[in-house]
Amino acid sequence: MAGCVARHRNRPIVERVWGTFGTGRGQFRKPRAVAIDPEDRLYIVDTTARIQVFDRDGRYLRGWSTPESAYGNPSGLGWDREGNLLVADTHYSRVLVYRRTGHLLEDRTLGGSTGAAPGQFHFVTDAVQDAAGNYYVAEYGNIDRIQKLSPEGHFLCQWGTNGDAPGQFNRPNSLALDASGHLWVADASNHRIQVFDTSEEPPRLVLVWGAEGSGPGQLRYPYDVWPAEDGIVYVAEFGNHRIQKFTREGEPLAVAGGPGREPGQFYQPWGLAVDSEGAIHVMDTYNHRVQRIRF
Amino acid sequence: MAGWEFVFGRPWCLWLLGALVALWLMSYRSLAGLGRWRRLAALLLRSLVFLALVLALAEIQFRQSSPKLTVIYLLDQSESIPAAKRAAMVDYVVREVAAHRHAQRGDRAGVIVFGREPLVEVPPLADDIPLLGQIETGRHLRRDATDLAAALKMAQASFPQDSAKRIVLISDGNENIGNARMVGALLADQGIGVDVIPIEIGAAREVAVEKLVLPSNLRQGQPLELRVVLDNFGDQPAAGTLTIKRRIGTSESLLSESQVTVRPGKNVFTVREPRIDITGVFTYSATFTPTSSEEDRILANNTAQGFSYVRGKGRALLIEDWSHRGEFDFLVNRLRSNEIEVDVMGSDELYTSLAELQQYDVVILANCPRTSGESADKITNFSDEQIAMLVQNVEHLGCGLVVLGGPQSYGAGGWSNTELEKALPVDCQIRNAKVNAVGALAMVMHASEIPEGNYWQKVVAVEALKALGPMDYCGVIEWSNFGGEKWLWGGQQGMLPVGPNRRMMLSRIDRMTPGDMPDFAPGLQMALLSLKKTNAAMKHMIVISDGDPTPPSSSLLQGFVQAGIPISTVAVAAHGPAEQAVLQNIAMITGGNFYSVTNPRALPKIFQREARRVAKPVIFERENIPVQVVMDHSSHGLTGASVPPISGFVLTTVKDNPLVEVPIRADAPQPSENTALLATWTYGLGRVAAWTSDAGNRWAASWTGWDQYDRFFTQLVRWAMRPSDTGGKFDVTTEYRDGKVRVVVTALSSEDRFLNLDRLTASVLTPDAQSSSLELQQVSPGRYVGEFTAEAAGNYFVTILTGAEEIEENGRKQLRMRAPILSGVTVPYSSEYNDRQTNRALLEFLAQLKPKGGEPGLLVEPALEPGQTSVLLQKYDSFRATLAPAVSIHDMWPWMLMVASVLFLVDVAVRRVHPDFGWVRRMANRWGWAKSRAEERTEELKQRLDRLRATKQAAEQQLDDRRRAVRYAPDLGGAEEPPPEFPEVERAAPPPAQPSATPRTAQESYTERLLKAKQQARRQLPRKDGS
Repeated sequence: MAGCVARHRNRPIVERVWGTFGTGRGQFRKPRAVAIDPEDRLYIVDTTARIQVFDRDGRYLRGWSTPESAYGNPSGLGWDREGNLLVADTHYSRVLVYRRTGHLLEDRTLGGSTGAAPGQFHFVTDAVQDAAGNYYVAEYGNIDRIQKLSPEGHFLCQWGTNGDAPGQFNRPNSLALDASGHLWVADASNHRIQVFDTSEEPPRLVLVWGAEGSGPGQLRYPYDVWPAEDGIVYVAEFGNHRIQKFTREGEPLAVAGGPGREPGQFYQPWGLAVDSEGAIHVMDTYNHRVQRIRF
Repeated sequence: MAGWEFVFGRPWCLWLLGALVALWLMSYRSLAGLGRWRRLAALLLRSLVFLALVLALAEIQFRQSSPKLTVIYLLDQSESIPAAKRAAMVDYVVREVAAHRHAQRGDRAGVIVFGREPLVEVPPLADDIPLLGQIETGRHLRRDATDLAAALKMAQASFPQDSAKRIVLISDGNENIGNARMVGALLADQGIGVDVIPIEIGAAREVAVEKLVLPSNLRQGQPLELRVVLDNFGDQPAAGTLTIKRRIGTSESLLSESQVTVRPGKNVFTVREPRIDITGVFTYSATFTPTSSEEDRILANNTAQGFSYVRGKGRALLIEDWSHRGEFDFLVNRLRSNEIEVDVMGSDELYTSLAELQQYDVVILANCPRTSGESADKITNFSDEQIAMLVQNVEHLGCGLVVLGGPQSYGAGGWSNTELEKALPVDCQIRNAKVNAVGALAMVMHASEIPEGNYWQKVVAVEALKALGPMDYCGVIEWSNFGGEKWLWGGQQGMLPVGPNRRMMLSRIDRMTPGDMPDFAPGLQMALLSLKKTNAAMKHMIVISDGDPTPPSSSLLQGFVQAGIPISTVAVAAHGPAEQAVLQNIAMITGGNFYSVTNPRALPKIFQREARRVAKPVIFERENIPVQVVMDHSSHGLTGASVPPISGFVLTTVKDNPLVEVPIRADAPQPSENTALLATWTYGLGRVAAWTSDAGNRWAASWTGWDQYDRFFTQLVRWAMRPSDTGGKFDVTTEYRDGKVRVVVTALSSEDRFLNLDRLTASVLTPDAQSSSLELQQVSPGRYVGEFTAEAAGNYFVTILTGAEEIEENGRKQLRMRAPILSGVTVPYSSEYNDRQTNRALLEFLAQLKPKGGEPGLLVEPALEPGQTSVLLQKYDSFRATLAPAVSIHDMWPWMLMVASVLFLVDVAVRRVHPDFGWVRRMANRWGWAKSRAEERTEELKQRLDRLRATKQAAEQQLDDRRRAVRYAPDLGGAEEPPPEFPEVERAAPPPAQPSATPRTAQESYTERLLKAKQQARRQLPRKDGS
């Protein structure tokens, strides 16, 4: 309509808000990472080093803790191709592998030795496994890189160093594989998203988008990225306290949230997951809760 | 069961209701015109208005009684009760509430624990008492006394209003503060019942060391006799070991150890020291250790302490930095060779009590920083308490203080804004912009992950700020939770001078809530830019973090290196070695220090030390700085001497106080207010000297070969020493009884005459280093008495100021201050340990009180014993209903008035207002549900109007036809009645005729005549009605 200015609505449709601060069942202390299984069960890890499993409405199903947490807590969750949960045990420089029941598969643990050598890790942020069984593990600290490991956990290749040039990283905080085998990386402290084609070795950079800022399309500490099946990409921004929706090429489509404690607002969100019904489950980290939204 | 009823404050007003009949009679006739139903409604409403007014006048009240019962348990947790019995109380209460509380009745239970003061452990709740395991408030509870009255008062204040109230007191009844009988009577008057479960404590045998008697003042070389008084409260002898220890300074030695048998009653044992050659304060302790634990129930009262001052020629304590030991050995040797006893203490083994300082007449703080050490586990500092002791030793006990300079002293030693600075004749800070002594400190705060992280961040920021001078710059960067990295003050620049902004900075620090910073780089970048722009001689940065933000790039760190800004990093104990590596790397590259902290209590020391780095500009170093002796009479021996130059000193600011003297200055730099080399004054009772250069190891190296060196420093130290001549004979006795210390002074002149002084005051220092003044009243010639409360166990130092005396010197009379008299008393142990048996009389009194409207309480038997709570549970029910139910009364008359007002308006409306319900139809039309009906009505109206128009047209046509057919004859009477065949149509009155200026003519038209006839007819119409 002539003369009208389209308003950018930040408030999403909030379907459900659940979780309170605490250490009891169904309570959180800064829920940071989430993984969702085909049955839409949410696996959530918080700063008590507990992994709690919920249905999509937030009903507690089960939970367990990682073996050690004195140094710090896990900050990333992913899946292997068998449906086992990959836990980025950040401060112990390793990736733990759990069955969905919470049974630890100790012989499948990746890393565990701190360092910059191949196969060693510093702060592990996330891990995924592709269809061929290769693991991709992101880390920062001594060196900001992604390592590719064989299904047996042997080092295959690595790419990335600390920096802001394309292909370099500054805290690659989250990894996600899309249906075409592209690896999406939330390059948090460079405030951008990078996409790599993993069919090549080392993987080839195919997309870089995002710049620091708080306007639509800009990013500030993107901590998680989720390439959905419909070609939509969701990004959780720690620094802007919001979720953004992009096209695959990085064109902004919508913004949801903003700083605050009301439903539909976020406080330094770390992670997100999209379920089979298209709803987005956001780890509203510093509000110690989970919000299920659509926008 | 809960019940309710209405009651009246003035029931006789209800007789006014009889007037209702008259109201009905009068109103029935006058309301006849309203129709049947409206008249009945109006009558009813009037009656209700009248009824409400009468009820309001009668002060109608709503009264409700509740069957609920609230029981508050008072648990005596004082030291007089053995720990096992104190624990048994908690266990019993938990079980009692679970067994007897009537949940369906809404009973509540609460717990208050008490000792010296009461604390609410569990507020009254309609729930069982949670199984706590131990008393939550226990660590805050002071158990060294029993205030039963305060506990009863707190229970009284804690009861909810809507229930009956009962207190269950579990205690031995041995109160030593307050008066429980008086409070108990008040409780009974308020209907609060008191049940008592006694605790028996009198069965066991008990031996206590009552006191250690020794003279408070001795001369060097005199013998000492100690007498230990032991009290055996049992009826059989008790065997054990009596150990007497002597402590001087930090060294402790065994004086005697012997097997003794303590007979029932008081026993006195005497021990002698043949001769004491060392001067200072000797602290003695006597401890009785029973052979068998069965012979002595309480061990806490088995030790008594006492102290004695042994005075000599003069004794000094020199405190030096432990990381630079031996720096003042030359000075120490010269003082010793001049007959001054000197003890040297490292700053890592500092005194812990004021008693340790009492043996010295002067304390020398020699180039000693407030904080020293290189790593978090080795870093040591003067705590606030230790600084306070040092200052109180001067201010209240008259000890001297000499501060010697060096690169780690005064402002460069981090002494700015401390209590010590207040005692010095100079300020450690430079307030002069002309002096290039400016530092800049930026801090990055990221310690939110550690327990109480925000608290510790505030503490360290304040500590760092304290160490900065007014000309220094300070900035703090935090991750603002909703706004990213930002400076805490100063906008984009962030670095502001501390002097004019200190208050604002403290306020912002107090409000800051740093969040979880994801990346070091933006914060460090901000700091680098601002520090570069800041005009400061020394720039420094501190980062406190758990180390998991994204590390900064090497190029950014190189920026700090090139700007000469070191970054010290503090790794707090949130994470492991990986994070430490990040922070270690930052410190290593930029030349800062790295600290790994596992205990947050180490953080303030680290920040004090790091903030001291920016204070280096207060040091002035140059070759051959001339020394000026400004004042002759107090330059401590330098008069007329040729003083060698020095090569450095610490810049300070002389206090603007007339008591301050600056006898020696440096000749550079300008201005002179910052160049004091020696400044002196008297602070409280003690003398303080500030020497801002060193004693020869670096800046005053040329002084060590100077022939006046000994004279200068010896006289400086002797000047500051506590005077030793009291100018008379003062006999002081102190006595502790019933929580109070009584001080008696007998004053004689040197001629043995009674001294009648204008006033005699004393300064009292408690075991927790709190000072207070004490006024001694003269009760007879030469006899003065004062008293103060001594609640806590420990040493109480009493310094008596004897004022000035007139002396004659060189033929001239002048006043001279007498030396203060040092005395004191030791309170051996809490009065709780004096209680040997249960105070049954008090417990029975409380239990027998009859609460208003209820039955007296119970003194429950048997007494509570560990492991036997089940017996009590069967016999006793604290939730029994023997108290008057709680009644709550609510005034209703305001509501009655409101009801009357509203009903009156309704009454008026019924009589005066004809309601129009057409709006209902209009609303219905608007909402569409009656749309079709409205359309039908519209059509019907339209048709009716059409018919009316047609009828009207026909009538007009007929009238015209008649007018044309009938010749008009003026007949005024015919105009009075319209033709019967035409309906009377009401028309608008024509406008009044304007008075015409034209005279009426005979040739009026037909229309004019017709109009005139009509007007005349209308004027006559009223007359026809006869009105």
